[in-house]
Amino acid sequence: MAERERDIQTCCISDTSCQFGLQSVWGTGNQLFLFPGKNPLLSNERRPATGKNEQIREVQWDIDLHHPVLRKMVNDSHNIFVNLQRQATQLTGAAFHTQILNSSRHYRATQKAYLKDLDDMIGSTRDEEQRQQYMEHLKLLNISELIWSLCEILFIESPVGGLVVPKLLDWLKLHFITAGRLFDDLMKEEQPESKTTYWDTIFRLVLQGQIEKACRLLSLHSARQTDDFQTLINLLKRMPQLSNVYKGSSVAEFDMKWRHWRDECQRNYEEQKFSINPNLETVVRILCGEDAVFSEVKDCCDPWYHMLISKALYQDPTVKACDLHYYIQGCQDAYRSTTRLGELDSILLSALESDVYQVIKDSRTVFSNGWFVAHLTDLLHHCGQLDSHRLQFGSDLQREFLLLEYAGSLMSHHSLWIVGVSYLDHCAEFGRKYLELYLDHIPLDSEKKANKILKICEDRNMTEQAKSICKVMGMRCIRNKRLGAALTWFLRSKDVGFATVLAEKYLLEYSESGEFTNLDLIDYLGPSMLLSNRLTFLGKYREFHKLYSEGEYHAAGDLLLALLQARLAPKQFWITLLIDALPLLEKTELIFSSQQTRELMKCLEELTTEYKLGKKRDGLGFTEARKDQLDVLKLALSRNLPKAILQEGTVNLL
Amino acid sequence: MADSIQSFVKFVSRKISKIKWQPSQKQTLECSDTFVTGSWDDEKNKICLWHLGMQESMERDEMDDALEPALKCEADHNGDVTGLEYVGSDVIVASSSTGSVSLYKHHTSSQTMGIQYKWQCLHSHGNHLCPCTCLAVRDKTIVTAGEDGKMVVLSAEQKSPQRIIENADSSTINGLVFLRLTEVISVNSSGQLKTYDLRSSSDAPAQTLSVSGELTSLHSVDRHPGQPHIVATGSGDGVLGIWDLRQEKSPVSLLEAHNGPVWEVKFHKTNSDHLFTCSEDGAVWHWDSSLVGASHMVQTQITGTGAGSGGANFSVNPSFQFGGSETLNKWLSPDNSKMEINSLIDDNILPVNSVDIESQTLLCGTDSESIITIRLPSMR
Repeated sequence: MAERERDIQTCCISDTSCQFGLQSVWGTGNQLFLFPGKNPLLSNERRPATGKNEQIREVQWDIDLHHPVLRKMVNDSHNIFVNLQRQATQLTGAAFHTQILNSSRHYRATQKAYLKDLDDMIGSTRDEEQRQQYMEHLKLLNISELIWSLCEILFIESPVGGLVVPKLLDWLKLHFITAGRLFDDLMKEEQPESKTTYWDTIFRLVLQGQIEKACRLLSLHSARQTDDFQTLINLLKRMPQLSNVYKGSSVAEFDMKWRHWRDECQRNYEEQKFSINPNLETVVRILCGEDAVFSEVKDCCDPWYHMLISKALYQDPTVKACDLHYYIQGCQDAYRSTTRLGELDSILLSALESDVYQVIKDSRTVFSNGWFVAHLTDLLHHCGQLDSHRLQFGSDLQREFLLLEYAGSLMSHHSLWIVGVSYLDHCAEFGRKYLELYLDHIPLDSEKKANKILKICEDRNMTEQAKSICKVMGMRCIRNKRLGAALTWFLRSKDVGFATVLAEKYLLEYSESGEFTNLDLIDYLGPSMLLSNRLTFLGKYREFHKLYSEGEYHAAGDLLLALLQARLAPKQFWITLLIDALPLLEKTELIFSSQQTRELMKCLEELTTEYKLGKKRDGLGFTEARKDQLDVLKLALSRNLPKAILQEGTVNLL
Repeated sequence: MADSIQSFVKFVSRKISKIKWQPSQKQTLECSDTFVTGSWDDEKNKICLWHLGMQESMERDEMDDALEPALKCEADHNGDVTGLEYVGSDVIVASSSTGSVSLYKHHTSSQTMGIQYKWQCLHSHGNHLCPCTCLAVRDKTIVTAGEDGKMVVLSAEQKSPQRIIENADSSTINGLVFLRLTEVISVNSSGQLKTYDLRSSSDAPAQTLSVSGELTSLHSVDRHPGQPHIVATGSGDGVLGIWDLRQEKSPVSLLEAHNGPVWEVKFHKTNSDHLFTCSEDGAVWHWDSSLVGASHMVQTQITGTGAGSGGANFSVNPSFQFGGSETLNKWLSPDNSKMEINSLIDDNILPVNSVDIESQTLLCGTDSESIITIRLPSMR
């Protein structure tokens, strides 16, 4: 869970064989393999043999993304990511920018949805440890949403005329809900002013620019009819609204109105109109944008970035995003004594300073799971916020690096690897190489999974990987004596070598047992048998047997001779083929013509000469039984020849 | 009733390999509101039972909630769920990639689920186990097949297998479905469709049909609910095959469809002109053949060449056609230009492993760890 760089997690390995040291090798993603031993200094230095059972240990560490709730977020955001990448190829300019903004909001909605889920789970769980874990997730997710939404305003949204303050006020309203809540509570009271929170709430509302609510609260005060109250309410109501700028009035127009209004506030204040009620005076001082007053009400606009926005609202409402950083120092100083600046502060600081790179860098440390930075960086990249010249290795690599990191953590997960594949697809530079390596490491538990991974390879033209998957599956089938299933894998990858090996295995089985196995496959091979010569031979040879058993002796004889003549058959199988001719020769009916008989004799001659040569060379030859069979064959052939000549002659005569 | 397609995506933190409606009770006409899912490829796989409050929500006119399933109960499952079926109304049978098959009982009173019985090591290569790939159920009879090429017949009420067909297939059987009470259809990874008669003493298939041409694998099979001789298959290269078991040898038509293996095909149980397919390419398609017949019938009368009309020439008397004992089934029609095909989930990226349809609600189980529920407009 979200290891910051300084929280080091430890895992003890109690194994005496590790006393000489421990070595490690990276697995995929969040995985290490440890084994005893030390790195040899010299190549011939050997590890001391411990004589004990040495084990390889697999060490894995969880990341929060693997938590069930966050897994939902992984899958949900995956869709958004892929859609955006698709749009990136189709849209340009303003249309694409709208799409980016949509995606950003969609990502945030996802975070919010799962914040709600987590919240529900915290409410329902009884296990204290689990609750703590959920709380921790919740906290991080909250922070990530906060940072994301600020980045969205500053870097992605780029509002009309560069006016950021209205957007930032919305951001405040959404994330600092105390003011709204206090207001709702007070509205239910009969005499809100009697509550201690009354004035605080008004300050908070004013500081967030929620003027209308502040007015409503003020008009509930028993002294609302007095002059000072009336003047202030009047001033508040006439405060020029920035949102009008969006509705068509120009920035200059607004500026003028604002200056007039502020002068009026200033005049009223200087005329001591509110001197009786210091609270009213505080409000008017806020309206005037007086520097000192913000420190006085700093509890109502804690933390510093809240104060920054409040200050910007009253001191320079049309400030550009790039000028916000002028306020940072003063606001941080106001809180410096009470709180130390944390990681969140430094990220927001970088964001307000428009330092995109620092935001990404720091976020990467805070959110160890990679989800946040990978997606945000991708968005910023599409927005053109990452200029390549600012980094020596180019901005796309920055995005790609983070995507690869995120994909890596997905690929190491038992189930989420399939999501990781999509992310790697969108890494132009290294994605493919990574994917190839990762795919080699996914365990092929079942044929179905193998089929799925095969499809991933085929879609990406990774022929090498596809072939290797088929090979692994096929070899596994061979080991399990499932030769038929093995053949389907090799046919799938069009692996000529292995198809040949299998065909030979089938033939061997046949010549040993005299029976074919896997007939249900071989008989239906169709054109697939053309993949390898041996396979073709197998198919044809089987056809010969079928023809023979169906009594189609002439066709069978023709096929047999064709097999011998085309030299499809392996030499060691010739003898089997020739002996298969024997029953055909012994039929009363004439099967082989004289021409064919001569061919058969030629083949027999060729075979015997070769074996004689072989015998001379290495002492190998026919067994006695084989010799007898061949003698019978020779005899049968020499009997068949005159029979054939005679019959042919008769036919000719006729 | 809404006429557009509505859908809801529920993320469930597990890849779903199988999804199945509870069969609707025969006594009542009401549709089922319960379905079961099985997961795969996770460290801990689960069988989950879900409730879809469609009926209640529809009455209150809250269509948005109506399609969101709520978890009723769950149970652990050892290995990937490779097959999932109901045996009766509260007993579920699941096959596993560990080679075993388990019966789960749903205790409706306490809303819990537990294993009732487990057949261990049904499928193995010698000593080590191998995945069971699929199963089919008819009444109390369960048939399973595995990567070992074996087929095992079980009875839900009996601990020992009724029958083991040792060498049922030399390639892997990927899908099973009952043809009739004692007959099953299997499809395998070398493109063959076989039927087995479970009563027959021989282990050989009663019938073997095959896709001709390049070797392709078949991954899924379903039979027409009304006319069992019509069978649909889904293949590894995305083709939907329609077979007529009365015609030997090869499929009647092969329709190029998906861009990846078709993991499941499913006929609508009551509107059998409708068929659904899901695929590795992430799409779910609705095949509507209800229009195929309409004008085609007229054509048949004129030309008299319809395959199903037995080659007889009905050129004279059109009324004879209607009086004929058998009209051409729409799925077997040689002219499928009238077939309407709809893609139901366009924005889905990852594979859809399983679909099931009951009335107008289609369920999809995906690899993006989600259940998608789709409400279809009423079907012709």
